[in-house]
Amino acid sequence: MARVIVSVAADRIADLPTVVDALRRAGLTVAEVLDGAGVVTGEASGEVIAALAKVPGVADVETERDVRLPPPDSPVQ
Amino acid sequence: MTSAGDGTTGRYLVLLEDDWSQATRELSRVAGIRAVDSAEAGLADPLWEADGLVLRELGVALVSADADQVTALTTAAGEPGPISLVEPERYVRALTASAPQATTEVDESTFTWGLQAVGAPNSTATGAGIRVAVLDTGLDLAHPEFSGRTIESKSFVQGQEVQDGHGHGTHCVGTSCGPREPGDGPGYGVAYEADIVAGKVLSNEGSGADGGILSGISWAMNSGCQVISMSLGAAAQPGQAYSRTFERVAARALEQGTLIVAAAGNESERPGVIAPVGHPANCPSILAVAAVDAAGRVAPFSCGTVDDIGAVDLAGPGVDVYSSWPMPLRHKRISGTSMATPHVAGVAALISQATGATGHELWARLARTARRLPLLSTDIGAGLVQAP
Repeated sequence: MARVIVSVAADRIADLPTVVDALRRAGLTVAEVLDGAGVVTGEASGEVIAALAKVPGVADVETERDVRLPPPDSPVQ
Repeated sequence: MTSAGDGTTGRYLVLLEDDWSQATRELSRVAGIRAVDSAEAGLADPLWEADGLVLRELGVALVSADADQVTALTTAAGEPGPISLVEPERYVRALTASAPQATTEVDESTFTWGLQAVGAPNSTATGAGIRVAVLDTGLDLAHPEFSGRTIESKSFVQGQEVQDGHGHGTHCVGTSCGPREPGDGPGYGVAYEADIVAGKVLSNEGSGADGGILSGISWAMNSGCQVISMSLGAAAQPGQAYSRTFERVAARALEQGTLIVAAAGNESERPGVIAPVGHPANCPSILAVAAVDAAGRVAPFSCGTVDDIGAVDLAGPGVDVYSSWPMPLRHKRISGTSMATPHVAGVAALISQATGATGHELWARLARTARRLPLLSTDIGAGLVQAP
């Protein structure tokens, strides 16, 4: 399972619940629905990720990246 | 011709209102100035046999005037009529590059060098009424230098409170929104009366992921923030595509009046290695911030524009930056594009307060008013941001 971020097309954000339902049916384990950003986060396997991209209203599916700061005592942050 | 010795020529420029068909007559009536109209004078005419020349294409008259005539013109400028403004003509000369400032000695007894470099102490804007979101490791909510401030906060890190267990977030909030008169050391906050909206998207260990960052952005957009400051990111490789998700979100935020600024990244090792702008600052709709030092040099670690996309957009003070740190340490000096970013976010808040600009217009005003530096645009974009 990979953590994914799914962005919803601008003209479908008003109907976000419908898109989220379709994402669930396609196999996405939904973590959060971010209505302000128009993004749905969750977990999915490799085959499911390909299917998510075909869900009506989905603009893009990306696997989640990690960010990391240096430790607090580092002179460059 | 007399020269005032202060760079002015002794002549005056008279700005005319849009309807200035009566300009030559008015100059004569008001101040006894005998001016010719450029549209009527031939190129061969000795223009300075007259007292003045009306440059019809520009709506400007260039006149010779004694003290009494200047007084008369200035009085007329304050009254209805074709004369709008009077100002001394200045000498101009070919521009030569000034020698770079060799010293980095800056008096920080009252304000940090960063506040001085962006002109914050000279601005009347305070950030009041503007909401600035800082998405980072949270904030030391018990820090005495934020007492009495309007603070909204939320943690997007599972199992951790907003309280900053790292320090990075408290430092960034300090630069963007901290105090000007902390009572202990120099003032270090740019938008010192802005509402502080602190989203914890990075853990006390300094780690986070896209989902938490997007949650923070969504929260800040919904809570009406004009500015989102993100001193975070992941290194990118040359040629690596930007995130279409972050780009779509940032473009939507701009449309809705929320400007997202983000650190370009610290992966360069100048002069030898210039690393590309990291994720998510490399998205075209996110304003990427580089770091400069007190001598106006790009910081050795500051990421640069390497690809056709993923440009550095602007620069901020990012070397040896003094700001708040969780108690009991209280303050700390550190460097990074993480420190440059909240300077830009703070200046954005000041400009938004002063002009009402948000979103695309706010970005344009930041870029238009940035101070140009004799450095590569690929390193600092349009230049060093300046308070209004």
